[in-house]
Amino acid sequence: MSGEAVNDVRSPANGRTAASVPVLKTELLTVRFGGLAALSKVNFEVKRDEVCAIIGPNGAGKSTFFNCLTGVLKPTSGRILFDGEDITGLPSNTISQKGIARSYQITNIMPNASALENVRIAAQSRRHAWNMISHHSAFPNINERAEAALRSVGLLDKADQLAANLSHGEQRNLEIGIALATEPTLLCLDEPTAGMSTAETHDTLQLVRRIAKNLTILIVEHDMQVVMELCHRITVLHYGEILADGTPEEIQRNSKVQEVYLKT
Amino acid sequence: MTTGPLSKSMPLTTKLSHTAVFWIGFCVVMAVLIVAPLVLPEYWRRFLTEILIWGLLAMSSDILIGYTGMVSFGHSAFFGLGMYGAAAALLIVSPPNLWLAILFGLGGAAGAALFVAYFSTRLRDIYFAITTLIFSQIFYVIIFTWTEVTGGENGLIFSRPHFTIPFLYDTRFSTATLHWFVLAVVAGSYVLLRRIMQSPFGMVLQSIRENEARTRAIGYPVERYKIVAVMLSGLFAGLAGVLYAVQNQFAAAEFVFFTTSGDTVIFNVMGGIGTLVGPIVGAGFFQLIRELLSRIFGDQFPYLIPLGVIFIVMIIFLPQGLLGFARRWLNR
Ligand SMILES: Nc1ncnc2c1ncn2[C@@H]1O[C@H](COP(=O)(O)OP(=O)(O)OP(=O)(O)O)[C@@H](O)[C@H]1O
Ligand SMILES: [Mg+2]
Repeated sequence: MSGEAVNDVRSPANGRTAASVPVLKTELLTVRFGGLAALSKVNFEVKRDEVCAIIGPNGAGKSTFFNCLTGVLKPTSGRILFDGEDITGLPSNTISQKGIARSYQITNIMPNASALENVRIAAQSRRHAWNMISHHSAFPNINERAEAALRSVGLLDKADQLAANLSHGEQRNLEIGIALATEPTLLCLDEPTAGMSTAETHDTLQLVRRIAKNLTILIVEHDMQVVMELCHRITVLHYGEILADGTPEEIQRNSKVQEVYLKT
Repeated sequence: MTTGPLSKSMPLTTKLSHTAVFWIGFCVVMAVLIVAPLVLPEYWRRFLTEILIWGLLAMSSDILIGYTGMVSFGHSAFFGLGMYGAAAALLIVSPPNLWLAILFGLGGAAGAALFVAYFSTRLRDIYFAITTLIFSQIFYVIIFTWTEVTGGENGLIFSRPHFTIPFLYDTRFSTATLHWFVLAVVAGSYVLLRRIMQSPFGMVLQSIRENEARTRAIGYPVERYKIVAVMLSGLFAGLAGVLYAVQNQFAAAEFVFFTTSGDTVIFNVMGGIGTLVGPIVGAGFFQLIRELLSRIFGDQFPYLIPLGVIFIVMIIFLPQGLLGFARRWLNR
C-alpha cells in the first residue's frame, strides 16, 4: 500500500522476463448482433503481469469483448487463445476453471447471501465442490481463500453482512472479491468504479494496484486520468474496431484518439 | 446491521448454542411424534403417518423449489413411480419384501427423474415447470392406459410386507410400528437432506437459485448440478411413494396426475420453502384443514374452495410460509 509499491507496478523497470509471453490473444475476433458489428476483426494481446486497459466511447464493444473472453457470448468468428490454448466458444464455467475471472459493469452478486458467503462459494468452485456430506464451512482452505479475497477488497469487517445491505461501493468491491476468490491468472474488470464517489474510486484503484502485483489485469475504465497512471498499455475501441493501441503516452499523443475520445 | 465488537467474539458461542437449540428442538418434535401413536386413536394415527409421507414428498421437492430455485410440477411422476415400483416388487416377489419394495420404488423414481432431469434442466423458470408438468402427464397417461401391467383405472392392490431385518427379525406392521417406521425414514431423510443442503454441493444449489449466471461464471457446471438435484429430489419423492404404497396397500394412477404435484407445491408455499421442515408442516396444515372441513361439512363439501381462500390469505399475509421466518436459522 506504500507509495513505492504503487509506483513499482507501473514502472517500466518492473518488466519481468515473463512479460513477453501473451497470456491472452484474440485473432480477428468478430461479434455481430444482426446487422450491427459490435466487434470486428479485433486482434488483441495481453502479456503476463501486464495491466491493460480498454477504453472507448459508450457502445464501443468493450463489454461485448469481455463477454466473449468469458464465454458469455460466442463470437461470430475469430479465435481466442488463453495460454496458447483455443478457448473460443467454451462455456463460462470452463473458462473460469482455466483461470479467467471477471467482474461486471452492472453489479452481479448474490444479494441474499453474506459477503463471506459470496466469496466462499467462489473459492469453493476450485475444491470440494461436489462434497455432499461435510458442512460447507468445515474446510479451512476454502475459508482462508475466501477471507483472503475479502481482505484484499477491504471487506473483511463486513464479512457477515448481507450483500444487499452493503453500500454501492462495497458491492462493487465485493464484485471484484468474488472474481479474486476463483484464483484467476487473468482478471477482467468491467468498469469497476462505475457509480462510485471520488473517494471510493480512489480506494478501489488502490485495490486494483495492489492485486495487480500477482495478476494480469484487463480493465475497462472511463476515467482517462486513472487509466493513464494505472496501466502499462491501452487499447482504444471505437465502433467495434481497434483504433489505437500503445503505452499511455502514445495513446495521449495519438491524433485519431484525441479526435474520437479525449476531446469529448 | 452494525457490527460492533460483540459480533467479533460471538460466532463460536452462538454457533454452539444454535446447534444445541436445533437438536433439542428436533428431539422434542421427535418425542411427540414417537408418543403420538400411543395416545391417538387408530384413525388419527394413520392420518398422522400419512402427513409424514406427504411431508416427505413435499420436502423432496423443496430441494428444487426452495434450494435450487426450480419449481417442479413433476413430483407426481417420481412419487407415482416409487409407488408402482414398490407395487411391482410386492406383487412379483413372494413373500412381499419391504426392502425390495424400497429398492424397486427408488429404481422407478430414479429412472423417471433421470429422464426428466436430462430433458428439462436446460430450461429455466416457467419453461422448466411446464416441461416437468408435461413429463409427469406422460407418465400418467402411460400408467393410466397400460392396463395389463398397471391395472389402469383400477390401480393395483397388494398386501403389506412385514418389517424384516434379514435373518434376524420378522414382524407384521401394526399401525403404530408402521408409524414409527415411516417416522424413522422421514426423520432420517430430513437429517440427511439438511446436511446435503449445508454441504458444498448444497451451497452450489443455493448459489444457482440466487444468481445462476454468476454461479456459472465462477466455474460451476450449472446443468450438472441441476441434474443431480433433480435426481436427488426424485429419489426422495420416490421413497415417499413407496411408503404410501406400503401404508395403503394400493397404487393408483390418480397419484401420478399433476394435481399431486400441485398439492406438493402448495405444501411448500404454505410451510415455507427452503426450510425442509416447512413443507412437512405445510403438508400437515393442509391435510388437517381439509380433514376438519370434511368433518364439519361432510364428504361432498368442495373443500378446495375454502382451502384456496386460506392459501391466498396466507400468500398475502405470510408470503414466507409458516416456517419461513426461521429459514436462515434452520439452514445454518
Ligand atoms: N446482447 C446484445 N444484443 C444486441 N446488441 C447488443 C447486445 N449487447 C450489446 N449490444 C450492442 O453492441 C454494442 C456494443 O455494446 P457494449 O455493451 O459492448 O458496449 P460498451 O463498450 O461496453 O459500452 P458502455 O461503455 O456503455 O458499457 C452496442 O451498440 C450495444 O447496443
Ligand atoms: Mg460496457
